Amino acid sequence: MASLGQRALRDRLRGPGLRLQTGPFVTCVQSPLAALADSLGVMYADYPVLEEGSLADFHVRLSGSHGLRRLLRPQVHFHYDGMAPFQPLPLGQAFPMFEWAMNWCVSSQAHSWLVIHAAVIEKEGRAAILPAPPGSGKSTLCAALVNRGWRLLSDELTLVRLDDGRVDPLPRPVSLKNASIAIVRAYAPAAQFTRPVADTVKGTVAHMRASSDSVARAMETARPAWIVFPQWRAGAPATLAPVTQARAHMRLAENAFNYSLLGAAGFHAVGRLVEEVRTFDFSYGVLDDAIAVFDSLLREDA
Amino acid sequence: MCSSPIWRLAPGQRLVHRCHDGECVLFNDLTGDTHLLDPFTIALLDALRATPQPAASLAALCAEHDGGPTSDPADPAELEACEELLADLAALNLIEALPC
Repeated sequence: MASLGQRALRDRLRGPGLRLQTGPFVTCVQSPLAALADSLGVMYADYPVLEEGSLADFHVRLSGSHGLRRLLRPQVHFHYDGMAPFQPLPLGQAFPMFEWAMNWCVSSQAHSWLVIHAAVIEKEGRAAILPAPPGSGKSTLCAALVNRGWRLLSDELTLVRLDDGRVDPLPRPVSLKNASIAIVRAYAPAAQFTRPVADTVKGTVAHMRASSDSVARAMETARPAWIVFPQWRAGAPATLAPVTQARAHMRLAENAFNYSLLGAAGFHAVGRLVEEVRTFDFSYGVLDDAIAVFDSLLREDA
Repeated sequence: MCSSPIWRLAPGQRLVHRCHDGECVLFNDLTGDTHLLDPFTIALLDALRATPQPAASLAALCAEHDGGPTSDPADPAELEACEELLADLAALNLIEALPC
């Protein structure tokens, strides 16, 4: 995208749409919002952009308010294939809304995969899947790991292929919330972040740019080796505790967006996944200790 | 319901399951849910797939599983426990009582 230049980027967004490739998906993005164009230009600078007219999996449009509202209380509206599935948000939340909408497109449409609400990272060909509810420290841990030698496959959506159980990468900016923004900034001062946006439904949010390497290797699948359910606790030592396969199955099912929709195929996909990996609960309080544990997993299973 | 219903596997259930280390997960074909069960419950469901039976017949299986002696007629406590389990499985749409 960087080679397009800012003017061409804005023209495509205002006109026929920007065909943005993220992992296996192409999204046609249309938007007249200059601030969104600027954020996309920075956070997606390394991503492939397809020619105008190329087929897209998702067609999205983010637009501003019209009339008096545009002046008094400007908002951003999201449209998917002409529909408006979400309430508009304050205009300053355009980029977070874009990211949330992209997640929604995949989690609600991409049923050729088992889609798990989980971060996933890779090193030496082996992937660690980190499923967890909000507030567990999943994205903070993911951001730390990808700044210490692990490759980002996704911080939010793990795409498990139904035919062979491998993970397809979907590297996009890492979403950070509230206190974790300052923690990750301090931990990875060289990383690039969006300006924090306050007062969203998730509190204050900022996004960390995915590394150029993870974007360049977005078509390089990985074999799952570990499922780690993280839980951050202040001051807690980094501790792994095994989780039985059947219980890991139940917890993965709870964290998968389309498990029920896939029916028996989802059951078998999760069943195979837990049989092929080691499964753990992981509590941690210090990022460096957590990194050391992940690197020791890698050595143990070498 | 009859005083002593005959139970069978609910039509449509295939008992698709996986067991690991003394715990099983079962896919419910009718609801799409996944249940965490013990291997004995899977064996009981399998028995009902093979032959519809009343709780009294299954009580022997329950007693055997609990390591106690089997008796005929079934021990009342064992029978009550078995009936409770069958009611739970029926509530999950895994089994059903045959019409009287």
